[in-house]
Amino acid sequence: MTAMTPVTISEPTTPEPPRVSRSGTWRVSWHGIRTVAQLELRQRVRSTRWIVALVVWFVVVGGLTLLLSGVLTQDTTGLSNTGPLMFGAVVYLVLGLGLLVTPTLTSTAVNGDRNAGTLATLQVTLLSPAEIALGKLAAAWLAACAFLVVSIPFLVLALFRGDTPAFSIVRVVVVVALLLVSVCGIGLGFSALVSRTAGSTVLTFLTVAGLVLLTPMLFGLTYPSIDREQEVQVWLPVEGSTFDQDTECEFQTQVRTVAHTERTWWLLGINPFVIVADGAGTTATSDDDSGRDPLGSIRDAVRGLRTPDTVVDECYYYTGADPIEPQGSDASPIWPWGLAGNLALGAAGFVVAVRRLAIPSRKLARGTRVA
Amino acid sequence: MSIDVADTPVVPPDAGSPPGIVVRGVARSFGPVRALDGIDLEARAGRVTALVGPNGSGKTTLLLVLAGLLVPDAGTVRIAGHDPVADGPAARARTGWMPDAFGTWDTLTARQVLLTFAAAYRIPTATARLRVDELLATVHLTEYADRPASVLSRGQKQRLGLARALVHSPDVLLLDEPASGLDPRSRVDLRVLLRRLADEGRTVLVSSHVLSELEEMADDAVFISRGRTVVPETITTSSTWHVRALSLGALTGWLTSVGASWRPGDTSAGDEGPGSVLLEVANDEGAARLVRDAVAAGVPLTSLAPVAGALEQAYLTLEEERR
Repeated sequence: MTAMTPVTISEPTTPEPPRVSRSGTWRVSWHGIRTVAQLELRQRVRSTRWIVALVVWFVVVGGLTLLLSGVLTQDTTGLSNTGPLMFGAVVYLVLGLGLLVTPTLTSTAVNGDRNAGTLATLQVTLLSPAEIALGKLAAAWLAACAFLVVSIPFLVLALFRGDTPAFSIVRVVVVVALLLVSVCGIGLGFSALVSRTAGSTVLTFLTVAGLVLLTPMLFGLTYPSIDREQEVQVWLPVEGSTFDQDTECEFQTQVRTVAHTERTWWLLGINPFVIVADGAGTTATSDDDSGRDPLGSIRDAVRGLRTPDTVVDECYYYTGADPIEPQGSDASPIWPWGLAGNLALGAAGFVVAVRRLAIPSRKLARGTRVA
Repeated sequence: MSIDVADTPVVPPDAGSPPGIVVRGVARSFGPVRALDGIDLEARAGRVTALVGPNGSGKTTLLLVLAGLLVPDAGTVRIAGHDPVADGPAARARTGWMPDAFGTWDTLTARQVLLTFAAAYRIPTATARLRVDELLATVHLTEYADRPASVLSRGQKQRLGLARALVHSPDVLLLDEPASGLDPRSRVDLRVLLRRLADEGRTVLVSSHVLSELEEMADDAVFISRGRTVVPETITTSSTWHVRALSLGALTGWLTSVGASWRPGDTSAGDEGPGSVLLEVANDEGAARLVRDAVAAGVPLTSLAPVAGALEQAYLTLEEERR
């Protein structure tokens, strides 16, 4: 080979990288979203697997509900009305199963298509990346909502056991649906971020497990670290008085260990199960018999965590008017914050997906052949 | 063959036909691999341009850049006058891209697949239905229109992929190995179809390894090797013709008498026996004139055909650079 003569070659002097415009990335039209969503649903619904999954869901939720209604009777629970307990159990069953099923709906949405060789042909059309991502999200959410809708009869069944406001069913369905769309968004983000479908599915499940299981664990584990020795007002029997009907009680200032859960309550606040309990709007806070309503109890407990106990009642036998006001604790709802947190995670996943779908891309998806 | 990366246009300007694809100095690296290292090419409207190169020479990467999927590190691209990097949607609206490997949504029917893409290109539904029926007929898939894509054979899927690339009547067609997996009949159909699309004024860029195929359908060829355009030239197959006659002496005698310059072809049977010569002919009209004049002059002409294998010859010189 003779050496090349550079004479005739005008070598470009470190050319400027071309200006990339992705101005159309976030353009969204109803037509585009519908096109993608329709495609996604057709792909899924056509496979009879999906119908089978719905039937299995119906049978499982229905079977468990019937079993529950057999177990949760007045004899076994000692409660005058098992309605709220039944309702809470069915709600948690639906939410739990929903959180198990939903991640699979989007966790392979982008990388699965990429592996199947159908993504790039869609990207080069006039669909914007946002439309592709929104279409996939909408289809997955619709599918998740189908599971939810199939479960409604059993929620209604629990409603018939009494003592649950009918409006709770609407609130539960809406809150669960919004939690599921968050999970869809998280799955979509991972599917765009990770090239292997198994990887993105595991990551999505881990994130959901983190929200559901890790948050109460962290709350428990950090509990010792939020203890503070501090002076509190204690309402306790006067020294020397006897424990009987006319026990005299008085306020004393003592140094006690107070757990400052107002620093960590949010760990429980973003837990989907707490959000649904708080958002369900079952029995009123001041209900004297609230122990029988699991959703209401969880709601009140978590809401109470936001204000540390500065007044302690230890005058157990006092029968007179209790001077301790039901603690001026913050009774404002937690669920809007928790739901917003979950939706923010879902939105983050969605934004990641859109950015990853934007073309022309600087990076080639990993695993794609070079040249 | 020398390596030449001069800045001269790849294809000599052809009056009247605007360039459909213009690529100038496009480079693209993947980590340490320089997949494209200065590509210059022009593909003209109304012509079929072959993209030829060894495996790993950067053909697919180049097509990804042209389709608007990859940002080049350097250089400029124009697709029907639009820059796929700076103005993606405008360029993509005019580009039909058929990748070398692609999938179909197995649970959708062929018709649904095409209708989905028509919707993705924002073609009104009524227009889309007509267009899809037309395309299904074009690629001979009408009888499979309502069967799920999963039952289609590889070649049928390939044809569906071609129909998909055509759904929005693109001005510029980028086809990556479109003939792979096609039966001989479909290859002929493909050739005819590409010819027709080019004749409609579209720009067609085809990469393929089946050089004899390319030769028959391509008007121009661009060779790339190691990510660079190499000795770009217009295919000159039509200018060298193989002329065979029953009597070599009569043929050569007549050619000499009319002052044509010829090179000996098949001379095994001697002057009196049948033989052939190689002759430079300007174009098809020239060939027609040659036949007319030769017959008029009493030369026992038996065949007249363009020399095949020019592409192959050129390709084989690139062979040493295979990687």
